[in-house]
Amino acid sequence: MFYEYVLTPFFRMVRESGTNNAFCINERFYTYNELGSCVSAIREKIRLTGYKSRNVGLVANDDIETYAAIFAIWSEGLAYVPLHPQQPAERSMEIIAQADIDLVISSGINNPFTGVKIIESAGLQTGEKDFKNQSPEEAPEEALAYILFTSGSTGKPKGVPLMRSNVGAFMKSFFEVGFDVTAADRCLQCFDLTFDVSVQSFLTPLTRGACVYTIPHDQIKYSYVYGLMDDHRLTFGVMAPSMIRYLRPYFDEINSQSMRYCILTAEASPVELIREWSACIPQAEIYDFYGPTEATIYCTYYKYSRTGINKDLNGMLSIGKPMNGVHAIITDEARNILAAGSKGELCISGDQLTAGYWNNPEKNKESFFELELDGVTERFYKTGDLCYMDEAGDIMYSGRLDFQVKIQGYRIELGEIEHHARICVNGRNAIAVAFQNSTGNTEIALFVEGDLENPVLLTDYLKSKMPYYMVPTKIIRQDNFPLNTNGKVDRNKLKALIA
Amino acid sequence: MERTDIVTKLTPIFKKVFNDDSIIITDGLTANDVANWDSLSHMLLIAEVETGFAIKFKLKDLNKMRNVGDMIDIISSKL
Repeated sequence: MFYEYVLTPFFRMVRESGTNNAFCINERFYTYNELGSCVSAIREKIRLTGYKSRNVGLVANDDIETYAAIFAIWSEGLAYVPLHPQQPAERSMEIIAQADIDLVISSGINNPFTGVKIIESAGLQTGEKDFKNQSPEEAPEEALAYILFTSGSTGKPKGVPLMRSNVGAFMKSFFEVGFDVTAADRCLQCFDLTFDVSVQSFLTPLTRGACVYTIPHDQIKYSYVYGLMDDHRLTFGVMAPSMIRYLRPYFDEINSQSMRYCILTAEASPVELIREWSACIPQAEIYDFYGPTEATIYCTYYKYSRTGINKDLNGMLSIGKPMNGVHAIITDEARNILAAGSKGELCISGDQLTAGYWNNPEKNKESFFELELDGVTERFYKTGDLCYMDEAGDIMYSGRLDFQVKIQGYRIELGEIEHHARICVNGRNAIAVAFQNSTGNTEIALFVEGDLENPVLLTDYLKSKMPYYMVPTKIIRQDNFPLNTNGKVDRNKLKALIA
Repeated sequence: MERTDIVTKLTPIFKKVFNDDSIIITDGLTANDVANWDSLSHMLLIAEVETGFAIKFKLKDLNKMRNVGDMIDIISSKL
C-alpha cells in the first residue's frame, strides 16, 4: 500500500515531471528535480552517518530540505519523528528519549540536542543527475512511517506511531472520496509538521505532480493564506475553521474563483461560518473531515451542500460517514453498539488504525478494545468523542468526553497544563479552562488557588515546559475554588469568572 | 500625522496587546521578534490599531504587512 500510494507515485513524479514545481516556500519555487536531488543527497548522508534506531528525529522547519528529509527517511525504510523548532528543548529531548532516537536531521543551525548524531541538511543537493533513477529501499508495510507526540495528561508527551500500511490505506481511501488532483493543481499546506493533517496536505500534491504552497513560520497564517489564494490562485486548500474565522471580517474582499476543493478539519465546523465562507470560494467543493491521529489523519467526512440542507448538531456540521476501509460505531461504556439517534462514544476500526501508543501498554489497554462485527473480530479505538449516528449513517459530533480541547487545531489535555502549573505553585490547585474569546476563538485560562505573587514567573515556567499554544493566555488567582454538588471543582463557575 | 507621531501612538497599543512594557517600536520589528505575536494576538493588535487611529484595514493591507514599518506606511496612507 505504502509503495503503491506514496513512494512509487512520488518517485514517478521526480522521474517524469522534473521541471514541474513541487514547492513554493517563502515566495521561491522548487522543482521536482530540485526536490528529488535533495532527497538523494540526504539519503546518502543518512547512510554515511549511520543509525541504530529506525526512528529519526526531524526538526520541523519550513524549507525544502525538511520536506526532502521526510522522503529520504521513508526511502531508507525509516520513520520520522517531528521536533518543533519552537518547542522547548526539554520537550524535544523528552521525545528523543522516549522514541529512542539517535539520529536527528535538521536544516537549522541551532540544534540543542545532546547525545545524538545530527545531519545538517541545509543546502544539501546532489550535483549528480542520477537522482532521477533512485528507488526506495524495501521495507515491510508494518514498519513505521512516523511517530507524532501529542499532549498527555500525565505531563509527558504521548507517542502515536503510524505504520506505512496505515498511511498507504489512508491515501487510497482519501483519493477514493473523489479528489481529482492533477499536476496543474496548487495546494495549500498550512499545518505544522508536528500535526498529521500536514501529511495529507503535502502527500496529495506530491503524489500527483502538483505544487505545495507552505506558510513561513514567521508569518501571520491567516493573512498569508489569503495572499497565497490571491497571488497564486490556489486550487486545493485544507484549513481549520478557526483560521477561517480570522478571515471573517474580510470575507467581502475574498473571491477565489480558482479554489476547486476546500477541506475543513482539525476541529468542529460551524455551519454558519462555512455558509458565509462558501461565497468566498464559489467554485469549490467543500468537505468537512474528521479523524484522530490514532486512525491516520482523517476517517470520516461530510460533503457540504451549497443548495440543499446540511446536517448539524448545535450548529456544528455533521462529520458524515466513514471513509472506505474505516468502520465507525457508537457505543456505551460497556461497549454495546447503540442504535441510531443515541449518543455515545465514537469508536473506530480499520486499516488506518495505529498498532497502539508508543511504549505505553497501560494507555493501550484503556484506549483500544476488540469487538465482533459481522462475524469478524476487529480492534477499535475509543476516540473520546461524544457522537450519535442518524438513520442515514451520518455522524453528529457533540463534544469531548473528557477534558481534551483543541487550540489552533492542536489537541491539548488540560490536565497536562494543570500538572506543570501545580508543580510551579508548590502543589496548590491549578485548573485550566478553555474559553471562547471575543473573536470566537479558543484560549486557555489558568486558575490558581491561594497566593500568587508573580504570575509572570508561572508563565515563564510553563513556557519552558510546553509548546507555546499550550501556555495559558490568562492567569487568574482565587482564594478558594468554587465546588459543584459532587464536591469537585466547578469548572463552569470558574469559566464564568473569565472577563 | 508624522511617522514619529504614529510610533508614539502605536507604542502603548503594542505594550498592551503583547503585555510587555519593554517593547520598542522600530520599522524592522516582526512577529518573530516579539513573544506571543501569533495569529490570535495579531488579530487583537489589528483591532486595537483600527480603533486607536479610527481606520479600517483591508485584508490586502494585512497581507502586505511584513514588519512594523509596513504597518506604519499603511496607517499613514489611511490618515
